[in-house]
Amino acid sequence: MNFEAVIGLEIHVEMKTKSKMFSSAPINFSDEPNTDTTYLDFAFPGTMPVVNKEAVRKAIQMCNALHMEIDDELWFDRKNYFYSDLPKGYQITQQARPIGKNGYLEIEIDGEKRKIGIERLHMEEDTCKQTHFNDYTLLDYNRAGIPLIEIVSLPVMHTGLEARKYVEKIREFVTFSGVSDGKMEEGSLRCDVNISLRPYGSEKFGTKVEIKNLNSIANIEKAIDYEILRQSRLLFKGEDIIQETRRFDEAKKETILMRVKTDAVDYKYFTEPNITPIKLSKEFIIDAINSCPELYDSKLNRFLNDYKLERVDAEILLNNVSLADFFEEICKYSKYYISISKFVITDILGYLNKSNLEIKDFNVEPKYIAELIDLLQNKEVNSSQGKEIFNHLIKENRSPIKIKEELGFTVISDDSVIRNIVTGIINKDSSLVTSFKNGKTRVQGFIMGQVMKELKGKANPVLANKIILEELNK
Amino acid sequence: MKEVTKEVLIDASNRLLFTMSDSEFNLLLEEFEIIKKQMDLMGHIEGVDDVEPMTFPYEVEVSYLREDSPKEVISKEEALKNAKNVKDGQIKLPKVV
Repeated sequence: MNFEAVIGLEIHVEMKTKSKMFSSAPINFSDEPNTDTTYLDFAFPGTMPVVNKEAVRKAIQMCNALHMEIDDELWFDRKNYFYSDLPKGYQITQQARPIGKNGYLEIEIDGEKRKIGIERLHMEEDTCKQTHFNDYTLLDYNRAGIPLIEIVSLPVMHTGLEARKYVEKIREFVTFSGVSDGKMEEGSLRCDVNISLRPYGSEKFGTKVEIKNLNSIANIEKAIDYEILRQSRLLFKGEDIIQETRRFDEAKKETILMRVKTDAVDYKYFTEPNITPIKLSKEFIIDAINSCPELYDSKLNRFLNDYKLERVDAEILLNNVSLADFFEEICKYSKYYISISKFVITDILGYLNKSNLEIKDFNVEPKYIAELIDLLQNKEVNSSQGKEIFNHLIKENRSPIKIKEELGFTVISDDSVIRNIVTGIINKDSSLVTSFKNGKTRVQGFIMGQVMKELKGKANPVLANKIILEELNK
Repeated sequence: MKEVTKEVLIDASNRLLFTMSDSEFNLLLEEFEIIKKQMDLMGHIEGVDDVEPMTFPYEVEVSYLREDSPKEVISKEEALKNAKNVKDGQIKLPKVV
């Protein structure tokens, strides 16, 4: 291809606070429409905005994670526009002095690290949620005023893959720091893409196209890849790129024109007169930074070095911060870290996926999982017994030791008992040894089946296997 | 500065959905005339362009931030009281986009 794509991303993140950015109305995502509001959210005359401390702390934590310069004075501006999603007629944002500027994050592609520059991070308030129908629109003001941060990258990315990695990293930061749920499908993390093409070697930017309404990280990559192709084709045909806003159609896997941009909208920004500049003390900023929960990279290092997990397992656990936390809770009660990781990934995650549940819906206490792992590791139960205990545990959330006792589960690990049975089987049919020595390894499995039958499935399988091999090789 | 004429004021009042009488327009025009004179006066002050504009009339530094605890909430009925049309607990508008 003869063209280079230039991509910049704007990401809006809804912060996970209990109350709104400028009012003390509650935030609860599952509440009925228009039940989490107060007078300020409807712009009643006389109401005044008061800045939420926790939102500022979270914004500082993100600034720090993104290596940004943090402004120790908060200034807010009014962005004026007239639309039904905002009853004041303006949005309170930080245009002139964002809380964070000049940062970067690192992405890794094929083992190579790349820094992506970030221009700014600012705080603002969310608008109300509009649901559009054929001939009318419904407004829910529960969302109006939820604290947002907007993160604006420099136009320094060139492929869909880079953009995807960048968003993944931002998502990872916001979820691990507890700043946000970061759920694109639910709108708590929203991404707009700006993309233009220019001939390789050219310094001048091409005409910019904006892509909106991207509801998954995978779609960001797909939309960009498609857009690069679409613009290249137009340029090859000698046609102009039109400055426009497009959306990604998931079914057709292509971007569709929403509207052509004419002149830039003038939002007539000016300093918000109802919020005087707020000085942030050094202590406040440092405390916010120090109280930020551990981020992904540091957790990954710990999982690999302290718990000695395999990288692939550590990465699966860290895909979901709640799952990773649950794993660590179990590790407080048992030292079989690797077995715990395997159990969480295979058994717990398997159960959750099958039942369409999330880890927060999993009602078994970590200490009971640890108890079960110990039973398995100490060979007090075998794996099939372990599975049965787990099934009880999911429903009953009580001590696996008690469940084991009630089910009468024991494991026979007495060498002489197992060896007697094995020699009995071999002595009864001398062809077994001959077949085994001729390479028929399934003989081993056959004998194991007989042993298990004899001991009602209670034989220690590892020990039994060892004895069978010894006797066959005699 | 854009010249403020009666036509400009009529246009502005139409956009803002205000109905105004002739005497009100005239009063506004007189006020703008006074403001313009004051601006002109200030424009003649030496070195005025070098002065940084102020946002607040006095320099004040606060450090107050509100604790993140939900306090104030109004009922759905109160929230929707002024809405002309309501459907399923939400404000209903004609579609504009």
